[in-house]
Amino acid sequence: MTERHNGSSLARYYWERARKNRLAVAGLVFIIFLILMGLIGPFFTANPTAVNFEEKNRPPVGFAIEESVYDFETQQLVTKTIIGTAKHPLGTDNKGRDLLAMIVSGTRVSLMVGLFATGIAVALGTLIGVTSAYFGGLVDHVVMRFTDIMMTFPFFLIFVLIIFIFGPSLLIIVVVIGLTGWTGTARLIRSETLSLRTREFIMAAKALGASDKRIILTHLVPNVVSLIIVIATLSIPGVILAEAALSFIGLGDPLVTSWGMVLRAGQQNLGTAWWVAIAPGIMLFFTVLAFNFMGDGLRDAFDPRSAV
Amino acid sequence: MDETILKVNDLETHFLTARGIVKAVDGIDFELRKSECLCLVGESGCGKTVAMLSILGLIDTPPGKIVGGQVYYEDVNLVECSGKQMRHIRGKEIAMVFQDAQSALDPVFTIGDQITEQIKLHLGVSNPEAKERAISLLQEVGIPSPETATANYPHQLSGGMKQRAMIAMGLSCDPRVLIADEPTTAVDVTIKAQILDILQRLKETRQMSLLFVTHELGIVSEIGDRMLVMYAGRLTETGQVSEILDHPRHPYTIGLINCLPDMTKTRDRLESIPGTVPSLIDPPDGCLFYPRCSRALAVCSQNRPLPVTVNQGHTVFCHLYSQ
Amino acid sequence: MVNHRLLDVTNLKKYYPVAGGLFSRHLRDVRAVDGVSFHIDEGEALGLVGESGCGKSTLGRTTLRLEEPTEGEIVYRGTDITGLDRVGLRELRKDIQMIFQDPQSFLDPRMTVGQSIGEALVIHGIKNSGEREQRVTSILERVGLEGQHAFRYPHEFSSGQRQRIGIGRALILNPKLVIADEPVSALDVSIQAQILNLMMDLGEEFGLSYLFIAHDLSVIRHVSHRVAVMYLGKIVELAEKNEIFGNALHPYTEALLSAIPDIKKKGKARILLPGSVPSPLDPPTGCRFHTRCHRVMPVCYQEEPGLKDMGSEHLVACHLY
Repeated sequence: MTERHNGSSLARYYWERARKNRLAVAGLVFIIFLILMGLIGPFFTANPTAVNFEEKNRPPVGFAIEESVYDFETQQLVTKTIIGTAKHPLGTDNKGRDLLAMIVSGTRVSLMVGLFATGIAVALGTLIGVTSAYFGGLVDHVVMRFTDIMMTFPFFLIFVLIIFIFGPSLLIIVVVIGLTGWTGTARLIRSETLSLRTREFIMAAKALGASDKRIILTHLVPNVVSLIIVIATLSIPGVILAEAALSFIGLGDPLVTSWGMVLRAGQQNLGTAWWVAIAPGIMLFFTVLAFNFMGDGLRDAFDPRSAV
Repeated sequence: MDETILKVNDLETHFLTARGIVKAVDGIDFELRKSECLCLVGESGCGKTVAMLSILGLIDTPPGKIVGGQVYYEDVNLVECSGKQMRHIRGKEIAMVFQDAQSALDPVFTIGDQITEQIKLHLGVSNPEAKERAISLLQEVGIPSPETATANYPHQLSGGMKQRAMIAMGLSCDPRVLIADEPTTAVDVTIKAQILDILQRLKETRQMSLLFVTHELGIVSEIGDRMLVMYAGRLTETGQVSEILDHPRHPYTIGLINCLPDMTKTRDRLESIPGTVPSLIDPPDGCLFYPRCSRALAVCSQNRPLPVTVNQGHTVFCHLYSQ
Repeated sequence: MVNHRLLDVTNLKKYYPVAGGLFSRHLRDVRAVDGVSFHIDEGEALGLVGESGCGKSTLGRTTLRLEEPTEGEIVYRGTDITGLDRVGLRELRKDIQMIFQDPQSFLDPRMTVGQSIGEALVIHGIKNSGEREQRVTSILERVGLEGQHAFRYPHEFSSGQRQRIGIGRALILNPKLVIADEPVSALDVSIQAQILNLMMDLGEEFGLSYLFIAHDLSVIRHVSHRVAVMYLGKIVELAEKNEIFGNALHPYTEALLSAIPDIKKKGKARILLPGSVPSPLDPPTGCRFHTRCHRVMPVCYQEEPGLKDMGSEHLVACHLY
């Protein structure tokens, strides 16, 4: 075998491929870690809602801060050094709630919101996109105009309105995100279906006598599955951030400890108890990155042209 | 006029894939002479397009790479040229016309723009002069009303017109060699006839060498002076077109000719070559046509056949003739 | 032996409306098929030849009602299928089937070969999976493949093998008429020969009739009994195969025949048709071919010639006769 590819160009080629994949794998590992944390974490951590003013504003393990405390006995402001302990590895907020517990709880919330809201949005978007593209003509026209209108709606105001009427609740957030977030998916799936529709195997199915329902479910949908997976993976970060944003501004479910809520709590004490805001911030940052990397990796994996 | 313009020696181009190394071109030699039409014949996957792209240095590296051999154009080995040198040669000295005019033409530029861009790039002439040349080129390839045609976008032209526009682009800088990769495959029969007619005329008036890649033997007989038959990345038979079509020697060539629905004879069944083209990954020893050959000998599965001259200029790569 | 009339198509038209203007008014029609009549008898193969844009593929699809005809009558075995309802149409699928052109596209990439072939059986109520498997295996073997191929996916096969699968899929319901839409155009020459032989063999074995659509006259010659030549939505000549190839009357047919590159006759005189096919949106007045005809006469500009029987069922639409 005369293999005379010179060393450097081959190495560069493999490096490019591995690098893309490596990020995707890293993303996947992080997501698995998140899932594990969300599933079994709550058994090992304290109660995230347990308030304990004695231990408020504790720093994380390994950090020390100086606190000015008014000593009633000496009637003076005394500076005390408080060191973080293993009892509260990430510290506490200004109500003494254990930060680690809150983060773990937030992981659960974010993953569930991500899963269910995206699930609803993508399922809805797929059904609408495929049907619209398959039937074409007037149906397609009407459905797409409807989609356009939905896309231009100011969702945020809708959220605020609904939450104002019905009160904040995680269920409402998930459902509303799901019912309003399908438009992007619908468009992408529709254009993919349009190009699939002209492929001869669809005509062949018709020639065999297949009903419209059969063609849509057995032929069109399976052929867009890879696209659906990629869209879903890349939608999840947006959904998680949406929920976090809502919680941050106070529209989130007060009974549920989510990252957004922790951010909100930490925002007020950024100067003194910075760890309260940093922790959820870091989690959001890496979670979004992880899903994006994995989504990119999946897209490359499914794209026949990028494979050699 | 036997002057050799292009000389290819033992060209080898491989592609690195997940499943192994594909030997798309596995050692081919040939010469292209001045004013001649050399037809490179073979079915899909035989490596003829890769060979042409290798000559012009258009192989994507990675995953492909020219791993051996030389391509001499006027004493310069193109394989060793830098990207900059190749860009100078492509279009100006050696031009290529592709199979699918639809995808080779940029849809957002007019035909006129695409041709003048080439001309200005290589010949450095002014805009008005480039435009004039473009118009005369379009006329040469038989596009009606060339002045107005330059303002047309590709989608406004029919298939045959697009193909002619591509030929005009290829000719724009007066190349000495025009490589045409299956230019008539995607067009109708009557348009095919027109395109062949144009190419024939151009070859004569411009004294240009034509490297014509095709799988259609009928076309080869119309326009070719000499031909090379390729199979699975290797040569099987080379020589004068009339000689090979009248006296084919290699079993593959014979098979190809016999497969053709013949207009003169009425047969009930068509002869066909059983089996399919082998994988080019890790090819076995011996002749690659061996599994499909009705006249195979024992030695065919062991040794790769060497070229044998059976007649003046007629060379076969087959053990049947090496005694 | 009397061959029964299988299919009778009369004055079939398929127009595609073109909308335009501010309110998407119906402006004009693309007249893809503009009044075509022909018939096919049991056991015969009718070749339909023409260049791109002549409407032959549209005609094929409309005949089997994959597209709805704009006008005209299609009678299959005495029944008018033009107005057939959904249930009737489904039944019809068992009798008239289609083979497609592009091996890269006519098989669902997500289904195994066995599922693709067996789908017809599922649709038509063969519930027993054992029976389906058996029939799929049997058909695969008939088309030159193996039973175990049923478990593989299309991308694992070559173009020629995929076309065999396509043929298998069309034949599993034992149709009487198969419409083959350019079945070998995308295949290499040596594979074309294999597939054409297969189709001819199966035609005899199953007693099939074919409507064989192609642009390659030499291919048509091998498989057809009669040949129809189409130009811009109309049939210009229709005759027995030997009549077409030995005694072509219409100038377009002459041009097509002379344009075929033939390795035996190098450098023969070729009739070069000027220009290209006019748009079906705006076909020329009078005879549609008059803009490119090398034997055009003044009357050709004004009047459209009808199909005339020149004897022994050789029909031609030309003012020369």
